[in-house]
Amino acid sequence: MSTDEIRSSKQQELRVVNRPLARHDAAGKIAGTTRFAGDFAFADMLHARLVRSQMPSARIVRRDASRALAIPGVIAVLFGEDVPNNVVWVDVPGQTIEVAALKASMEVLATERVRFHGEAIALVVAETEEALAEACQSVDVELDDLRGVFDAEEALSDGAPTVHDEGNLLAEWNIDRGDVVRAFAEADIAVEGEYTTQFVDHAYLETEAGVAWYDDDGVLTIRVATQVVEHYRDIARILGVPESRVRVIAPFVGGGFGGKEDMTVEPYLALAVARTGRPVRMQWTRSESLLARAKRHPMRMRYRTAARRDGTILAHDIDITSDSGAYAYLSALVLLYSAVHACGPYDVEHVRLRTRSAYTNNPPTSAMRGFGGMQVVFAYESQMDRVARELGLDPVQVRKRNALARGDVLPVGQPIETEVLIADTLDGVVARAGVRPEPSGPRKAVGRGLASNLQSYGRLVWLNDSAAAWVGFQLDGSLTVRCGVQDIGGGQASSLAQIAAEILGVDLDQVTVHFGDSARTPLAGTTTATRQLYMSGNAVYEASTILRDQILRALADETNQPFESLSMAEEGVVGVDTALPLREALVVCRRRNVPIEALGTFFGPKGRPVVRDLRAERVFPDFTFGSHLADVEVDLDTGHVTVLRYIACHDVGRAINPRSVEGQISGGVVQGIGMALLEEVVLQDGVNMTGGFFQYLIPTAADVPDVETVILESGEGMGPFGARGIGEPPIGPPAAVIANAITNAVGARPTALPMTPERVLACIEQGGRAGGEGAP
Amino acid sequence: MFVKPFGYERAHTLGDACEMLRAYEGDARPIAGGQSLLPMINLGLVEVRAVVDISRVADEGIVEDDGHLRVGALTRHGELERHELVRQRQPLLSAAARLVGNIRVRARGTLGGSVSHADPAAELPLAMTLLGAEYEVTDGHSVRIVPAAEFVISYFTTQLRQDELLVSARVPTLGPGWGWGFVEFSRRPGDFAIVAAAALAQCAEGFIVETRVALAGVADRPTRLAAVEAAVDGALVGELEQRVGPIEGIDPVTDTGASSAYRKRIARVLTQRALTEACRRSQEST
Amino acid sequence: MTDRVEVSLTVNGRPTTRVVSAHLSLLQLLHDEAGVADPKYGCGEGVCGACTVLLDGEPVSSCIVLAAQAHGGEVLTASGLTSPDGTPSPLQEAFHLYHAAQCGFCTPGMLMCATAILAGSEPLSRAQIREGLHGNLCRCTGYGPIVDAIEAARGVR
Repeated sequence: MSTDEIRSSKQQELRVVNRPLARHDAAGKIAGTTRFAGDFAFADMLHARLVRSQMPSARIVRRDASRALAIPGVIAVLFGEDVPNNVVWVDVPGQTIEVAALKASMEVLATERVRFHGEAIALVVAETEEALAEACQSVDVELDDLRGVFDAEEALSDGAPTVHDEGNLLAEWNIDRGDVVRAFAEADIAVEGEYTTQFVDHAYLETEAGVAWYDDDGVLTIRVATQVVEHYRDIARILGVPESRVRVIAPFVGGGFGGKEDMTVEPYLALAVARTGRPVRMQWTRSESLLARAKRHPMRMRYRTAARRDGTILAHDIDITSDSGAYAYLSALVLLYSAVHACGPYDVEHVRLRTRSAYTNNPPTSAMRGFGGMQVVFAYESQMDRVARELGLDPVQVRKRNALARGDVLPVGQPIETEVLIADTLDGVVARAGVRPEPSGPRKAVGRGLASNLQSYGRLVWLNDSAAAWVGFQLDGSLTVRCGVQDIGGGQASSLAQIAAEILGVDLDQVTVHFGDSARTPLAGTTTATRQLYMSGNAVYEASTILRDQILRALADETNQPFESLSMAEEGVVGVDTALPLREALVVCRRRNVPIEALGTFFGPKGRPVVRDLRAERVFPDFTFGSHLADVEVDLDTGHVTVLRYIACHDVGRAINPRSVEGQISGGVVQGIGMALLEEVVLQDGVNMTGGFFQYLIPTAADVPDVETVILESGEGMGPFGARGIGEPPIGPPAAVIANAITNAVGARPTALPMTPERVLACIEQGGRAGGEGAP
Repeated sequence: MFVKPFGYERAHTLGDACEMLRAYEGDARPIAGGQSLLPMINLGLVEVRAVVDISRVADEGIVEDDGHLRVGALTRHGELERHELVRQRQPLLSAAARLVGNIRVRARGTLGGSVSHADPAAELPLAMTLLGAEYEVTDGHSVRIVPAAEFVISYFTTQLRQDELLVSARVPTLGPGWGWGFVEFSRRPGDFAIVAAAALAQCAEGFIVETRVALAGVADRPTRLAAVEAAVDGALVGELEQRVGPIEGIDPVTDTGASSAYRKRIARVLTQRALTEACRRSQEST
Repeated sequence: MTDRVEVSLTVNGRPTTRVVSAHLSLLQLLHDEAGVADPKYGCGEGVCGACTVLLDGEPVSSCIVLAAQAHGGEVLTASGLTSPDGTPSPLQEAFHLYHAAQCGFCTPGMLMCATAILAGSEPLSRAQIREGLHGNLCRCTGYGPIVDAIEAARGVR
């Protein structure tokens, strides 16, 4: 983009890293040759599809496959009883039994009860898609309606139908710091707001898909669009086979965003292969994906904020209820993120936080980019603007006044150990923004809004996260990297190539990365939690460093030069006044029995598990901070909102590939705008009404402006070369930015997402005509 | 994916097509562009035993005919949008076509298809109703003329019998001194309209002499607003907005796209805007 | 009833004749019968554009065109933009240079939409490019890099 800026401190002389090099994976994607999970076929391949519940809450009375099995071409119909271990465990380490047991489970195929519209009841396998379609319609399922509950707060009230026997309360996290009562008593103002967010779908362009087969050694192999190859363990457990007999391969994934973090097609493919012995393909239709894939948690967030006249935030009193849907998946962890991030990038002395997540008969909710840390931005950044408005202060100044600094401690107890550039990011977007544009007509109003956020990167420290990578030279000097990282489009694999090339002094086009194979690449953990660059990047950094030092040590001994005087560069191994071509250096190593490969493992920081009443020295490795600004125009007659301009500034520590960083920011912002203005999975008493992309509206190119990015490089990150994660942070601010901008334009504040024209029109009526509080 | 198999027949004349439709006794549907039918089949909303492909039937295209344009039913939306005759002689129709779907829909979708599908929010049925077009309909043996305003009888339902096909539409051209307006409200460009408004106006010396205005998306069919036309009759152009009050006599649906109340509000706004555009163009033309 | 049809068409310059089920979409024919897997299934509704190909020079949603309807036609897909010796087209080069592909799933369709947009000779503003792209969804890039690439291919940058 022509509008990017990068401002760096702690400059390093880097050759490959920090360069906007074209990504190696892009060539195949642009040539149209990349084979995604669904682009794989075997001659004797079968097709599989699920029969799903048409009701959100029911007892299963009868299941009968006889009509389906009579159809020519139908090979098998499986019910829950046909699954060796019909259970998928979600284990959330660290949550104690103070709340219900967090080892939540669900069936692979429902046997007695269904708890959401779309729950899988039967698996059908057939020779052709046509036979499959007919068979699925011919599996007889009789359901008996069970009273369901479709609101999280209602689910927690007395007399609500129980979704699970243990009760509807899934998880709670609380924080108490300081003396909130006294803080409110001493405060000059208190502002309150209730903010709600909606069910959001990942809407990746590639629907859930995969092909599975037995390889020649009888290992069940699943090539699937996934963010987590480690699911091979779950699959092995379901099938009742040793973990070493299952292999998961992750090809390039057509978008993940957390939606391919849980298993989707994997258990069903595995069951179909185990039953038939033949390769099997499964791909979900778009309707099916919208119906059955776990969604983002809708939240109701009540904030009361106490402040001093000078804009200092004294206290937050926060209450959050989250809808877990029918099954736990990762809901408890998502809620934890919300709790830790709930006060934003600010130092707030007094905090009372109560959060809870409840089961309902709505669709299950689980991981989605931002993972609970992004819904709360809408709340806390709306509150910051409310405070500024009430006190007649500049919203930028209020944020700067309260911004965290090195040494401050988050309400959860985690000290901030790195530099926080919130003020710089605010300056960055404001400077870039210049003057607010004029409305384009008499019935339009323009407003400006901004928001700051923090978002963790790297997984929770008590999960003992680690990632491994193997780096090895070929005899001709080209380099192979093997790493289990899953590449979902964020340049995960190509970043590793850049890091290895940088350290080992080779050209980027000499590096080949093999990734995403649970059997043949060292495991690197999930591509989630904005952790891959941090974890596998560091693992490759580690392995490359070990390898480099091995080679240099061998050459030092061979040539009688001090180790410290040698380095690896384009010319090969370079000394004070020598240069040995790489190929010859490798020959030296081989002769001296020095390996020309190395395995590196990077361990994330450790911490103790937390209990419901959160207090921890450390929860996350680190955070990424940023600020966004937008100008919007509101049509005063229709409530339609146009985003005229959008500027985003983040401190990314070090941009391994600046273009990739811009791409992540741009993509994350547009997803955030989608959630802010357009997207909603509509449910009516648990029945999913959103049947396709004609109803689930994601932003098109004509709905968003260019995202102008300002990148700051503090060098303070914990990733390789001082990098901070950037996958999730940009999705947090947009809803708040736009809400603040609309408020600025029309004088009244939207508090429910999405901010549809209808809702905005209601605000316009509330707030009077174009007005607003003046530009920040 | 997972579509129930259906058969395919290719017709070379409309007469053949009608014959084939009769042979299937209502279980077959005509297909031209397929931009409405195939998505519905893929979504499982419609099942057919066969499709009768009329996309290769010779079509007269667009010709001028005594103060009218005759547009063949197989005219693609993109063609309607760009055709010089349409742009010159009935620009409202060109504007309406430009708003249909996206570039791919416009490459395939046909006038006959859109009009026969009768989506209450669609642009071309609205334009045809407003312009007072007439449809030529055949069953292969004889031809009848149906005014566009009478063509739709309910949601997604027209007068067409199972074995009838649209041949062409005869559309009045824009008269001298007349202006046109066509506005649509949707959540994103190219989406189905929530509400659309089409208007024609003739102004003289700052006064409104005559108007025609109609809406899509507020009822089961395009709806002429006779009351609005009466209300603005003879008004100063500058008074137009005040003269258009809340739209009476409409009861739009509430669905996942918008509520009935919101549709009613938008209906008024779009009516004002379409009429304003039409008046402006009328005044510019003189 | 005719439930099988013979479809002859040219795909990326290669003549292909197959007898297929009557209800088969052009997208499925390309994948299953013509060995061309680059246009993708994204929605089956003609909304997302991931299946965009050029049929007789016009951009179409191959998921809602029957293979039978494409009989006698010429189909061009993204993989057909690359020359036989593997050289990417200028448009593809621009996509590469401007990081217009992240996950890459929308990319083949996006390239064909871009090809259609660039077919005319009149100048194109960024806003016009965005308008032309509105029928092709991308969930990863935020569209800016794609607009950059198309501008570059037009020769503006």
